Amino acid sequence: MNKPLYRTKAHKSNMIKLLILGIIVLLASVAYILINSYLPNMKIFMYVLKIRIPTLIVMLIAAIAIGGASIIFQSIINNRIVTPCLLGMNSMYTLVHTAVVFIAGSTSILATNANLAFGVDLIVMGVVATFIYSYMFKKTGNNVLYVLLIGTVLSSFFGSIQSTMIRVMDPNEYDALLTTLVANFNNVNAEIIIFSVVLLVALTIFLWKELKLLDVITLGKDQAINLGVDYDRVVRKLMLGVVLCIAVATAMVGPISFLGLIIANLARQLLKTYKHTHLIIGSALMGMLAIIGGQVISEHVFSFAVPISTFITIGGGIYFLYLLLSKKGI
Amino acid sequence: MNVVDLIKKYDGKAVVDSVTFEIPKGKVLSLIGPNGAGKSTVMGMISRLIAKDEGIINFEDKDLSKWKSKELAKKLAILTQHNNIQMKLTVRELVAFGRFPYSGSRLTVEDNEMIDKAIAYMELNEFEDKFIDELSGGQRQRAYIAMVIAQDTEYVLLDEPTNNLDIYHASNLMRTVRRLCDELHKTVILVLHEINYASFYSDYICAFKDGKIAKFGTVDEVINKEVLSAIYDVDFEIIKIDGKPLSVYY
Repeated sequence: MNKPLYRTKAHKSNMIKLLILGIIVLLASVAYILINSYLPNMKIFMYVLKIRIPTLIVMLIAAIAIGGASIIFQSIINNRIVTPCLLGMNSMYTLVHTAVVFIAGSTSILATNANLAFGVDLIVMGVVATFIYSYMFKKTGNNVLYVLLIGTVLSSFFGSIQSTMIRVMDPNEYDALLTTLVANFNNVNAEIIIFSVVLLVALTIFLWKELKLLDVITLGKDQAINLGVDYDRVVRKLMLGVVLCIAVATAMVGPISFLGLIIANLARQLLKTYKHTHLIIGSALMGMLAIIGGQVISEHVFSFAVPISTFITIGGGIYFLYLLLSKKGI
Repeated sequence: MNVVDLIKKYDGKAVVDSVTFEIPKGKVLSLIGPNGAGKSTVMGMISRLIAKDEGIINFEDKDLSKWKSKELAKKLAILTQHNNIQMKLTVRELVAFGRFPYSGSRLTVEDNEMIDKAIAYMELNEFEDKFIDELSGGQRQRAYIAMVIAQDTEYVLLDEPTNNLDIYHASNLMRTVRRLCDELHKTVILVLHEINYASFYSDYICAFKDGKIAKFGTVDEVINKEVLSAIYDVDFEIIKIDGKPLSVYY
């Protein structure tokens, strides 16, 4: 008979913390929809809803994808200050967009049709990253540190190509390009949202068995093998999941995966547990809170003049310094 | 469990060369030898942490590579020194991982009993809810041993368990090893650097040199002047305490 697992006080208090966090996210979501919504006037309110609800959904999906991927990535590497950013997906996204505008022009259908652009992003990032990382992973004998190093090198490599293209680009084209290079939660098509959700759900189902092994993976390679986990295969599959999650999130909203560092650590700091079910949910909720908060400030305080990624980068940078200086569990 | 013609090469150089021996059931076997003699590599291969290049490792009439990793985890436990946990994990939670091969992360009543027993056996009750990173080296080692006990395997493999422990904790650990064998009837295989721990606490010793077995036998057969001098290239004196040979070297 399977009795529910050994429950400690810590387990209970974590459930309560997650519940409270969930309620705060819910309140924040409602607040996001209601702020300046001209509520008594139903006509305008319906219009506001039509714009804000898709944005809200996009923010929630991005938070789940980035939050989950970041926790998994950190646990695989066994280090709290890494982020999937290091895999070079952001610079790959920037490069793909720049290349499209550079080669086909900013008025080409590849750049103007959002669905098509999303498709191109996802296919290029997914295929290239899957190929690079599964190949490199095998080649380096499943050494995650090499993979990190390769990611860093590739980041600068992609960055260099992109900046070369920008230098010879028509300034007007560059202007059009620039708007797509910052993270943006507005105006994401319904088709893209549905497709992303389907993809993320499929990915979760595909990785379900491996996700349950994450707790054991964090004990380190030797212990995981000792306890009967096929370590190399599991880690390879999880890594693939991380790459695809980040690819989906980045293709959907732009380069924002730096956020993962902040929210994963906030979740770890809040929950102080090794249980990944809690950590992943916590990280996703933290992500929702951070993105909704940033979006509210961006929309209502700065009237869209300052993009949300600015706040995330500033906040994230300060928090990162704090993490390094306070040496909390690093 | 026995090993036949085991070979492991790194860059074409054999670090373990045609090693053949049988592991006596229900006894303590120590693997000793100078640095680079291949003892840890042999340990790695019989615990499936390192892939072998050639040879056979028979485990209960089946080659080790044919076993399902999960089934093997119920029969054979390995503890290495590469344990750095970045997570907030309490002693009890760590010990509970020993039950993972049986129940995954859903612990049964029986699992909880096993965990309680393992914690009591290693006298960790007062630390049960402390985080691993708050413990001293000796306490942490005991917590890991408790996890191995909870794993409830017939074979226990310990790779240099006395490393980084002072003589108080190291000798305590060796006594625990003896108890694992005598009271819990486990087969324990250790890699040791300290010859006297090997001679005092094991039943059999396997001495390695240059990737080959230099001598395999009971303690008295291995711990003598000629054998040890040949293996370590150092002069030895053997004295007897409690009827057991102790070596003195300088």
